[in-house]
Amino acid sequence: MNDFASAKVLHTLPWNSAYITSLAFIGNDQVAAANKKGDILVWNLAVPEGKTPDPVRRLVGHTNEINRILITPDGKTLISASSDHTVKYWDALSDQGEPGSVVLNDGFLPKGVTEKVDKVPPPPAPVEVKVIVQKPIRDLTNHAEWVLGLTQTPDGKTLVTGDDQGVIIVWDLPAGKELRRWQATQWISSLGVSPDGKTVAASQHTPFIRFKQGLEAFVPHFHFWDVESGTSKLDLSKEIPQGMSTVVYSPDGKWLAAAHGNVQTEKDQGKIMLLDPATGKKVRELAGHPVGTNDLAFHPDGKHLFSCGRDQQIKIWNLEDGKLVRDFGKFADRGVWIGAISISPDGRLLAAADRAGQILIYLLTT
Amino acid sequence: MDTGLQPGTCNVQQHLSRRSLLKGTVLTAGGMAVANWGALTHSQTIAAEAKRTGKRCIMLYMEGGASQSDTFDMKLGRPTAGPFRSIKTNVNGIEVCEYLPKIAKHADKLAIIRSMKTKSVDHGIGGYHMHTCYPSNEKFPHAEIGAMIAKYCDNPESDLPSFIKMGVLACSAGSGYLGPQYEPFSVATDGTLPSFANPNVPQDVQDRRGELLKFMEEQHAKEHRARPFASHREAELRTIRLMRARKAFDVADEWNKARERYGNTQFGRGCFTAVKLVEAGVPFVEIGQDGWDSHNDNFPVHKANMSVLDPAWASMLHDLQDRGLLQDTLVVWTSEFGRTPAINGQGGRDHFGRAWTVVLAGGGIKGGQTYGASNQDGFEVEDKPVDEGAYFATIYKTMGVDHRAVHYLGARPIWATPEGSKPIPELIG
Repeated sequence: MNDFASAKVLHTLPWNSAYITSLAFIGNDQVAAANKKGDILVWNLAVPEGKTPDPVRRLVGHTNEINRILITPDGKTLISASSDHTVKYWDALSDQGEPGSVVLNDGFLPKGVTEKVDKVPPPPAPVEVKVIVQKPIRDLTNHAEWVLGLTQTPDGKTLVTGDDQGVIIVWDLPAGKELRRWQATQWISSLGVSPDGKTVAASQHTPFIRFKQGLEAFVPHFHFWDVESGTSKLDLSKEIPQGMSTVVYSPDGKWLAAAHGNVQTEKDQGKIMLLDPATGKKVRELAGHPVGTNDLAFHPDGKHLFSCGRDQQIKIWNLEDGKLVRDFGKFADRGVWIGAISISPDGRLLAAADRAGQILIYLLTT
Repeated sequence: MDTGLQPGTCNVQQHLSRRSLLKGTVLTAGGMAVANWGALTHSQTIAAEAKRTGKRCIMLYMEGGASQSDTFDMKLGRPTAGPFRSIKTNVNGIEVCEYLPKIAKHADKLAIIRSMKTKSVDHGIGGYHMHTCYPSNEKFPHAEIGAMIAKYCDNPESDLPSFIKMGVLACSAGSGYLGPQYEPFSVATDGTLPSFANPNVPQDVQDRRGELLKFMEEQHAKEHRARPFASHREAELRTIRLMRARKAFDVADEWNKARERYGNTQFGRGCFTAVKLVEAGVPFVEIGQDGWDSHNDNFPVHKANMSVLDPAWASMLHDLQDRGLLQDTLVVWTSEFGRTPAINGQGGRDHFGRAWTVVLAGGGIKGGQTYGASNQDGFEVEDKPVDEGAYFATIYKTMGVDHRAVHYLGARPIWATPEGSKPIPELIG
């Protein structure tokens, strides 16, 4: 059993422009990152030893926060979901585009920006990198509000998206054509689709700071939806009574993982639920990350689940016994989170984005 | 009993009309005030002194601190901007957050003060300061704005409480030096009365119980000549009268028709009930909307809160106008402070008092304007700073209350607003 004991940071990619919200590997040697300004950058990680990779491409088109990105199973298309109400397709492999540039440090570190600070700290001298600027190859404009949920089937045929008006849309992924939609009652905070494409597991949660009497219409829900009919076939709202930041099926279909933490949780919460995808029954409950688990990723070995959270840690869990294998990072109950993670298809690299303006690339196995 | 009230304030030992006597605070046998039932001590003298304006005020209090940068003073394109866009309103040149689309249609009624500069930037002290006009560290029993307006704007002939709070937790100063008769009458956020207010016996039985209690207490008072017993008896009678007036709180039937417009939330129902209460003559109603303290996840939290606020507030303004009440009803949208322009590491905004926004509308206010300005990133007031004194003085002025009214606690004088506080004439229509 791999205990990832030799895992180490291979690269630190600086990108301090806005919070990085989502990561996705393109093949095994490129990584894409999306941020709250609506930018996507792609780095080529195959660089000589000792050299820090620079971004090579900038995907321009979103006009508001990007909430999720993914790469289709064939590795050819990157898909992004945004608060600009759109879902966009991008050519993940092309190196064609307009020559352009990106400033990697035009944001500011939020550290210390409080009542006593007079202004946004002046930016340091710009670190400008030349990139190829690329535009989307397809726009899906069927959502009317923030698109928060984005997932696909492992065969690359079906795409599912969800927005904060409670609308879930099932798409023919290659055609970019809406197949059906249904209306849930609240914000779709996250969703996953079963590998057979028949079930959508979705967490519904309107992010009030805490549930209060009088907001009964906003009680969190968790449903298994039948994709064919758009009806709920299993209501797990009692078993999962909180908002989930991430809902993801394992590629082999054995597990459904759901992470608590789409808004700040209490210190003893932020747990990760491992469910039986067929019955919805909770098989294990992992301690997760106090005050919120932000993202999940199944390792391709089928034996491990990676998670990251608001405690500034990355954790590796053994799926068989639910035990913590190891963790990276520095524990803090308030600070800059680890907001997103992604694992390369060969399982060798882990990308993790913190909210202090950098992406760490870990070498998991030598 | 020593009320602590001095010349300039109401004193129960002064001459009382029977009607005004019936409008009493509920006092326990020990004399402790537990609720406001009106103006027990509105003497004829005081009633003559007080300026009966017929004005009403509804205060929408965003508990925790709403972000000015994400509502009424957006900094689009600046590093401090969030993901929200602005939309046009029905007033040229005024834009508000895209998630206030209904209130945008009432901008002609709004005076948006974008230059609040206040001193108390934590919840307890900020809540106190923005309710009393004074910092809490003075260790003085200041009166809340609701109590002040209750004192000067109450209709002494009304059966209803004069200062009602719905679900507000931000400040517990209450009536302070104005005395227990102006203590707030607190109900749930949706305006429903506590269950004990709904008698489970027929009216005639209730009346007989009241008479029996009155007889017993009169007999007792003959032997024990202390005011608490009289107060206790009157409180019982006052309670009975409130029972008769409780229909003003009972909006269930009308709410069924209104809830789609106001939003099916407690806050929405509270706003609807507030319209009914001011229509019935209540001079001050405060409704709290909890959950704005977004140190984390500011943007989804604000978007969710605005989805509750927008339909409720807009429908309230619509209905007040529709019923001919808006010209005499001041509607205040406020918090204990604003939120930092800069976004912290948790995607949140923290407490901020240096440059933030409140909104006034309705009675006495010249709408369709912004007043003052913050600078380009929102860190400082750039034009026409408004402190707590000017804010309160403006409200009092529109309510017909002397903002420099003086009261006494012992020998110590205290004014409604601190020395030097002046109303802002540009805001007053």
